[in-house]
Amino acid sequence: MLRSSSCSRAIALALLFVAVSGAEALAHCFAGARFFPATLATDDPCVADELSLPTVQWSKTGDVPAATEWDISVDFAKRITEDFGITVGDTWSHIHQPAGFTQAGFGNLDTTFQYQLLKDGPHELALLLGLVVEWGGTGAINSGLATPWSTLTPTFYFGKGFGDLPDSFGWLRAFAVTGQIGYQFPTLSFDVDSGSFIPQVLVYGASIQYSMPYLKSEIRDYQLPDFINHLIPLVEMQLSTPVANNFGNSPITTGTINPGVIWVGTYFQVGAEAVIPVNHASGTGVGFLGQLHLYLDDMFPTTIGRPLLGGSSAPPQQLKF
Amino acid sequence: MRLRALILSLLAMAFSGIAAHAHAMLDRASPAVGSAVADAPREVSLTFTQNLESAFSSVQVTDANGARVDQGKPQISGNTMRVGLKSLSQGTYRVRWQALSIDTHKTEGSFTFTVGGR
Repeated sequence: MLRSSSCSRAIALALLFVAVSGAEALAHCFAGARFFPATLATDDPCVADELSLPTVQWSKTGDVPAATEWDISVDFAKRITEDFGITVGDTWSHIHQPAGFTQAGFGNLDTTFQYQLLKDGPHELALLLGLVVEWGGTGAINSGLATPWSTLTPTFYFGKGFGDLPDSFGWLRAFAVTGQIGYQFPTLSFDVDSGSFIPQVLVYGASIQYSMPYLKSEIRDYQLPDFINHLIPLVEMQLSTPVANNFGNSPITTGTINPGVIWVGTYFQVGAEAVIPVNHASGTGVGFLGQLHLYLDDMFPTTIGRPLLGGSSAPPQQLKF
Repeated sequence: MRLRALILSLLAMAFSGIAAHAHAMLDRASPAVGSAVADAPREVSLTFTQNLESAFSSVQVTDANGARVDQGKPQISGNTMRVGLKSLSQGTYRVRWQALSIDTHKTEGSFTFTVGGR
């Protein structure tokens, strides 16, 4: 296990070194005139050069009595080519039980490999394929915050803006949806320590979002205050359902519904969401999720904000209509 | 733990020199996006959030039949792009633009305005 952990860290280290060595770039999650912001609980449908630092979540667990949990995450996304990117992330958790017992430590290291299948500007459509790998044994196993086994989750992501609707739809054209669906395979089927099966899980989520920047620049400028014109109100949903190898475990679907808002700036965005458990197994009461997300492609367009290989190294084409 | 320290070090290095460039987003337009104006405008003016690369930025204005009603090559200065218009009659017109900010980030968009709609 120690060897596996060292190997995982070495791979992550190598990727990061590669990531900062420089190349060419364009980025952000644009499909035509539509900008998909980085959503907080789910992923946006694009490869990008971005950094979430930090994502902070406060919630109460579904235990009786409920424990209080803080999660602080970092995610660093880097394009290797124009269409292929890698994200490395980790989460530090602190769980305080009412009786005074506390668990704290890092979860397993996450790495996501993503390939941009499609960006269709006129239809504001973006499609993405990904493989999420949680590297077993790279977190605080002894604290119960990480597992000794890894998981692999092939995932499909999509984003669709409704700006291609007829003009008669007016302000409704500022709506967009994003979503993802993945199937999580553990690398171990049975946990000897707990004496339980490790299920295969369907992991899925979606967001519906309303873009005030899109309303202002594409549909109608209502001369609203500048702050309002940078807002994207949204509702996210993230769910997981055990679907196989779940003998003796609860088959219940868990997850949260997160209404919130993202303020989109030039170099960064700030998001805040309420976290509403869908059932008692998912948590107790309403939690909070907040994130500062940095657009590295805009902050460092000539260094770490561009893909490592190929990409837009060719001179831009003169635009023609 | 050493990896996390390395990540933090890299981030600290990276943030030591932020360049002042980004995607050029449409900040305001004249005629305004989605507006109805009583008198036919003589030009369309677009102001962006970033300075533009003039050789690779463009704007086109068409009428309801898709016919060009702009006077061709736009004038680009800093973050503003202007294009003259032919004499417009009453109706709805679409403005399509593409912009390349000076650090090669490309953006695009379109909107309509109406003449004689007040």
